[in-house]
Amino acid sequence: MTSLIPILTLLIFLPLCGALLVFALRRSDAAVRGVALAFTLAELALCLWPLALTGEKAAGAPAGFFLYQDAAWIERFGIRYTLGMDGISLVMTILTAFITLIAVLSAWQVKERAGLFFALLLALQGAVQGLFLSLDLFLFYLFWEAMLIPMLLLIGVWGSGRPVYSTIKFFLYTFVGSLLMLLAIIALYLMHGAQTTNYTFALPELVRTTIPYDIGLWLFAAFLLSFAIKFPLFPLHTWQPDAYCDAPVAGTLMLGSLLSKTAAYGLIRIAFPLFPEASRALTPLIFVVAVLGIGYFAWIAFAQRDMKRMLAYSSVSHMGFVALGIAAWSPVAVSGALLQMVNHAVTTGALFVVVGMLEERADSRDLSSYGGTWGKIPVFSFFFLVFNMASAGVPGLNNFVSELIILVGTFRVAPLAAAIAFLGTILTLVYTVRLVQEVVFGKEKTPLELKDLSLREAGVLAVLALVVVALGVHPGPVLELFKAPLEVLVRP
Amino acid sequence: MLPIYLTFMLLLPLLGGLTCAVAGRKLPRALVEVLACATVWGSFACAVLAAAAYTGPQVITLADWFASFDLAIPISLYLDPLSLSMVVMIGFVCGLIHVYSVFYMRDDEDYARYFALLNLFVFAMLTLVLGETLPLLYLGWEGVGFCSYLLIGFWYSDPNNADAGRKAFITTRIGDVALMIALAWLFQLFGTLSITKANGMGFLMPGSVITMLGILFLIAAMGKSAQMPLMVWLPDAMAGPTPVSAMIHAATMVTAGVYLLARLLPLIGSSHAALAAISVTGGLTAFYGATCALAQRDLKRVLAYSTISQIGYMMLGVGAGAVTAATFHLLVHAFFKALLFLGAGCVIAAMHHEQDIYKMGGLRRSLPVTFWSFLTGAACLAGIPLTGGFFSKDSILLAVWLKGGVLYQALYLLGLLTALITAFYSFRLMFLVFGGGNGHVHRSSGLTVMQVVLIPLAILGLFGGLLDLPSYLGGGYLSGFFATLPVTDLPTGSHEQEIVLQVVAGIVALLGLLVAYFRYGKGRAERMREAQAQPSGLFAFLAQGWYFDKLYHLVLIRPYQACAGFLSERVDRGVIDASVDGLSAGVGGVGRLFGRWSTGKVAVYLISFAAGGALILCYLAWLAL
Repeated sequence: MTSLIPILTLLIFLPLCGALLVFALRRSDAAVRGVALAFTLAELALCLWPLALTGEKAAGAPAGFFLYQDAAWIERFGIRYTLGMDGISLVMTILTAFITLIAVLSAWQVKERAGLFFALLLALQGAVQGLFLSLDLFLFYLFWEAMLIPMLLLIGVWGSGRPVYSTIKFFLYTFVGSLLMLLAIIALYLMHGAQTTNYTFALPELVRTTIPYDIGLWLFAAFLLSFAIKFPLFPLHTWQPDAYCDAPVAGTLMLGSLLSKTAAYGLIRIAFPLFPEASRALTPLIFVVAVLGIGYFAWIAFAQRDMKRMLAYSSVSHMGFVALGIAAWSPVAVSGALLQMVNHAVTTGALFVVVGMLEERADSRDLSSYGGTWGKIPVFSFFFLVFNMASAGVPGLNNFVSELIILVGTFRVAPLAAAIAFLGTILTLVYTVRLVQEVVFGKEKTPLELKDLSLREAGVLAVLALVVVALGVHPGPVLELFKAPLEVLVRP
Repeated sequence: MLPIYLTFMLLLPLLGGLTCAVAGRKLPRALVEVLACATVWGSFACAVLAAAAYTGPQVITLADWFASFDLAIPISLYLDPLSLSMVVMIGFVCGLIHVYSVFYMRDDEDYARYFALLNLFVFAMLTLVLGETLPLLYLGWEGVGFCSYLLIGFWYSDPNNADAGRKAFITTRIGDVALMIALAWLFQLFGTLSITKANGMGFLMPGSVITMLGILFLIAAMGKSAQMPLMVWLPDAMAGPTPVSAMIHAATMVTAGVYLLARLLPLIGSSHAALAAISVTGGLTAFYGATCALAQRDLKRVLAYSTISQIGYMMLGVGAGAVTAATFHLLVHAFFKALLFLGAGCVIAAMHHEQDIYKMGGLRRSLPVTFWSFLTGAACLAGIPLTGGFFSKDSILLAVWLKGGVLYQALYLLGLLTALITAFYSFRLMFLVFGGGNGHVHRSSGLTVMQVVLIPLAILGLFGGLLDLPSYLGGGYLSGFFATLPVTDLPTGSHEQEIVLQVVAGIVALLGLLVAYFRYGKGRAERMREAQAQPSGLFAFLAQGWYFDKLYHLVLIRPYQACAGFLSERVDRGVIDASVDGLSAGVGGVGRLFGRWSTGKVAVYLISFAAGGALILCYLAWLAL
């Protein structure tokens, strides 16, 4: 039956259809929200379906893939419409569907051009899903660029602060990176074609290309640069605090929780497997920027008065662990990095949502506006504390597990890098408890009328908190899904 | 049956804590109180049942936590004499303190948060003790730190309390990172994170590696057990409610470092350098804590510094390889220090939250039960002969003496000197708080129950020595029980040696008592007069904890804050961001183009973006053709 229903195509086009429908209904806010919610829920349900199929092997698929779809598209250039799902893609698609659902729910109050807003959210979701499923490099690039358009509009139109400046900065950075990646893709395509006379963008084919060492180094560097910008890695991050801060909450959520993951995914799925030698040569560089970033960003986060800016720096600091695990390129470390991607998306996303809720109430993101919320809005404060503790790596909550796996996995390859990176977690705690202290504890700094969470808000946060705890207590099933694909991808 | 007992031992306080945390504010107060107490006593009952069913060291795997390739972390527990004696003590002491808390926190509206954290703490502490794999131990280790953080800052509306909580959390995190790094290293070396397996594989590794591991574990212990140089958080931790100080910052959590080192001694004990580092840390900290306690005016801070000092003794014992002696002192100390803190809680409650010992006096007659219990506790702390504290402290000193060598003999003398100071400050406290003229107290019905709780602890402290009598008195129960631990053989002394050393220790303690009597008993009025003046010189140095706080503020905290601002403004914005902006502006015409762009609308952008994409596609087409 599964071969009759093109699940993978549906995963991409269901949100896109939803986007069109939402846009068509833009006259009525209620209809827009309802339809957007219905489509995100349907998408999540559809993502969960393949969980039952993981044992199977799809016909014609590369090793490890249990769903596969392949069709000729632009035959003249050897561009094919190839989608595949293995354990890694599965987890990433579920994550995408989940985060989009949270984004839709947290954007419930958006009044200004709500139809376009939700349409863009859904379109963005479709593009991200496509990226996680593509097995054709051209298709991957297409989705990589397609993500950018709704994201730019979300920041530019609904942003606050200096949205145009932030949008342009974000665009310029990512566009430069993308351009380099495209050139590298084309070069690879031509080289492979010249070697085999089979001009193709198919990733499983391209992996077999023989690449001279010095050319490989340049091509890998192009991919790395492109991914490092979106990650972002030190020192290519300066677009990020501005974009995160000025975007509306749902936009920040998509940007911080999902778009940064596409870069990490690209490294794991494409850049490292394509260029094993070059990646090994540049590994020390990645270690250095990852370790430097973890400490540097955590340190800077401490100095921020704007909560969203603090979280933006916190977000990149945590992404440093993902980079660390990928750079170590051992099965354990990469599985930790993948799990950290999920955990980072959930925890950091939850923090952006929860700060957004506070901002909605008091129209301020400045730390000095708050204080003593525990006495006034205890439910809010409870969730605020839980997510912050998860971010600080308290065991029993999600981030701890992935950071531990990354530490253990990386330590075997690069003990010094792992040890220094973990010294950075002291700095993480320093800014986290500062944030908690200034908001939750102490005395109220300015008198504010604060209402505790509404049912919708409490529901959103409760779901996020449950995921945070579940992934901290029983991450086994997720790790199990990574096992088979990593055995193929990461050859020790 | 053992797995069931252990499961419920952990599950009961966990469920109690979660229930209070999630639904506590909706439940009636009495229900929350009963629930919190019942779960802990239930957990204690399970510990007793487990002790009854105990036949020998055993690893019990309950479930899987996570696994990735060869890194597999099960939820498995290890029951051996060490963990068994710890869980029984923890269950009992925490149970009593829960009951005490019901009355102490009677007027506080935030009972749900309080009991939720207290219950979660018990769960975390038991996990720490029972965990067989290092990550599980770490779960408890960090869990107790988290509960401690929130409980120190329980009265959060005073920023000082919240600051104290934050200080404790961050300072101990330094140790935690050392533990994490040691854990990763252990896995690299042995391919396992099981404590029992690693303990059996120490001999495979060169001595230098074992020494480094030992130092990392020592740093971890320094944080949690408030040893030098990471001890600065514990005195401030007294900002929490007094039962919290009794339970977390005296009886249980702060001994976790000692427990960790004792647990891993089979692994790290083969390194003489590591052992020496542990004993020196312990010896110095014992001395440091005792000297600081001499000059404190706050009742709870005296006890806090005495805790630092007593844990120093335990570390000294572990460093001498004497796990039994260290655990013996750990258990007896838990009883008498909980007793002292709870007694202090009675005094503070009766004195309308006054904590300055120079403003107290005469409580001997007005609070007789507290007085007699507190006296027992102080006698134990001072090591007055035949009390529990006397035997336990002496077994550590004996082990240190028998270990031999210049270093350990010097440490023995330092320990003896510390014992003298300890006896002196213990009775300084007694004379100032309970001696002198009339004392007016505020009585409440809660106070009666609170005082009753002191009695069992006083009995345990007083007769705690029976747990492990010296061999000339027929030998001890604990030594026999601990004989199965895989620890290197210790030298044993002759009966004469033991007797001589104990007589010396007894004389030292009585000497301290005598001096305290002359200075604070007979000379009370004079001391009270002196206390009006501004403290200066040595006294201020001791009262300020050797100025460690000031030092850290100067060399760590201030520079850290300043650098954060500098990095954010000057480096991140000023250099990195500006250089990127400059780069784009500097590319001549492109820069001007960007300039025109940035004035326009996003739509302009997207059009040029699409144009760029089209251009690339054309190029591609041209290539393929």
